Amino acid sequence: MAFAYLAPTLLVLAGLLGYPIYQLVLISLYDYNQEQVSGNAPLNFLGLGNYQKLLSDKQFWTVLAQTVGFAAVCVAGTLLVGTALAVLATRVRAVPRTLLFLAALGAWATPAVAGSTIWLFLFDANFGLVNEVLSGIGLHGMAGFSWTYGQWTAFGLVAAQVIWCSFPFVMVTLYAGIRAIPGEVVEAAALDGASTTRIARSVILPLLRPLLLVVTIQSIIWDFKIFTQIYVMTNGGGIAGRNLVLNVYAYQQAFAASEYGLGASIGVVTTVLLLAITVVYLRVLKRSGEVL
Amino acid sequence: MAGLGGTETLGRKSRWAILDLVVVVYALVPVLWIMSLSFKTTKTLTDGNFIPREWTLDNYKAIFQTSEFVRALGNSIGIAIISTVIAVVLGTMAAYAVARLDFPGKKALVGVSLLVAMFPQVSLVSPLFEIERSVGLFNTWPGLILPYITFALPLSIYTLSAFFREIPWELEKAAKMDGATPAQAFRKVIAPLAAPGVFTTAILVFILCWNDFLFAISLTSTSASRTVPAALSFFTGASQFEDPTGSISAAAVVITVPIIVFVLLFQRRIVAGLTSGAVKG
Repeated sequence: MAFAYLAPTLLVLAGLLGYPIYQLVLISLYDYNQEQVSGNAPLNFLGLGNYQKLLSDKQFWTVLAQTVGFAAVCVAGTLLVGTALAVLATRVRAVPRTLLFLAALGAWATPAVAGSTIWLFLFDANFGLVNEVLSGIGLHGMAGFSWTYGQWTAFGLVAAQVIWCSFPFVMVTLYAGIRAIPGEVVEAAALDGASTTRIARSVILPLLRPLLLVVTIQSIIWDFKIFTQIYVMTNGGGIAGRNLVLNVYAYQQAFAASEYGLGASIGVVTTVLLLAITVVYLRVLKRSGEVL
Repeated sequence: MAGLGGTETLGRKSRWAILDLVVVVYALVPVLWIMSLSFKTTKTLTDGNFIPREWTLDNYKAIFQTSEFVRALGNSIGIAIISTVIAVVLGTMAAYAVARLDFPGKKALVGVSLLVAMFPQVSLVSPLFEIERSVGLFNTWPGLILPYITFALPLSIYTLSAFFREIPWELEKAAKMDGATPAQAFRKVIAPLAAPGVFTTAILVFILCWNDFLFAISLTSTSASRTVPAALSFFTGASQFEDPTGSISAAAVVITVPIIVFVLLFQRRIVAGLTSGAVKG
């Protein structure tokens, strides 16, 4: 009975996810380049050769470190902004709160490509509003300053965009979480003479912890997979690839360098890493008593 | 609700108000800036003024005159709608089973759908590229619709089963006891209760498909199936020698503003949908 309802979904997932994953692993075991794609050269089975090549490549480790660092900054920023705004939303009146939600949802709904373009134009060296304002308030060196040229300013700019489009989710979720805390609990603590900070730290924070964990891990997963923003804003990974993250690296190897085998092996490695994070996530969900 | 603290001084209030303002500026200014750019004339494009000194619709006229953009817009709308309909129909069936029926492997199914949601899409691009080329789906509508369904299904199942769990299903039985046929019970009792959840899910899924960039640039090669996000990255302006900033801004506004308006209209539903997975109401 249940199977009839599930059959289409299972069919789609098996055909459109299961089979490509099988193909991905298969490709990663071969020397698979442009010639093999067009059928001009025989397939050459490498076994784990691509993985060996990848793990002994210094660039891979640099990119991995950049991915982790970049994701960490984005996650921290997203959580900080999201949490602060969730608290803010509980403290203001209905009208400013609605305004807050509308602004946040606007940022959240902006397509990643458009959002990336928007931020690029905002920080553009020649006509960007930011440089205009900065040089207007006396920082004349900022006129014509290129934010995308330097490795760190470029990463910082992308991070600001990523935080911009991901804080609304954290904010909305935590706001709902704070609202779900029974008012009596807080009132009882206040009657007992607890200060606002004390209430926040000893009453609200512990009650929100499971939810905070959920949004943290979701943000980690999401920021680890960033592709569009880096690809669009740093023009495919920055000058000489110094703004690459794993996903963009895998894409560049497969599509720009036509190293499909190597690209696939990066894909497998990324998948395994994300799988590990997801397993932790599922454990957390289970422990916090979420009914799946 | 849990409001913190009772007595607010005027000073604290104004501090909150300023913070509120800063946030609204952070969230809104980027979008307003690109709107401003899109209305500027070529001459004033680089003047750095927040409010255009000379207003023009030329940028919009220019993009709507290029078949490249118009085709891409049509592709975006068609592909996103078809993907949404299929993903929501399949998701509704699966979520119904998850919410109402007991079957072996139920936990595993939800776990799997979460795993799919976490899956790095980039990993699927190379194999999908290969497969689609060999079966002739590369650079076609179905070539994009199929992966969109795959990645929209988990979201759709997860959100819908959260909504379906809240439906008082006893009403169905009550209606049948009052003499309604199963079809009537479904149509008159269950469908109206389920509709808001299905609608909310459809919005979320539509946004997911509409915003995709990765599949759109890798699984298309011409304007036959290229969607706006992909077309935007190939945008070089109305003519070869023109600075494309104005047209890119206009194109970005065209794909962003309708979505934002849509989201704002259905704000409460979307908030409910976003939090349904994480918070239990």
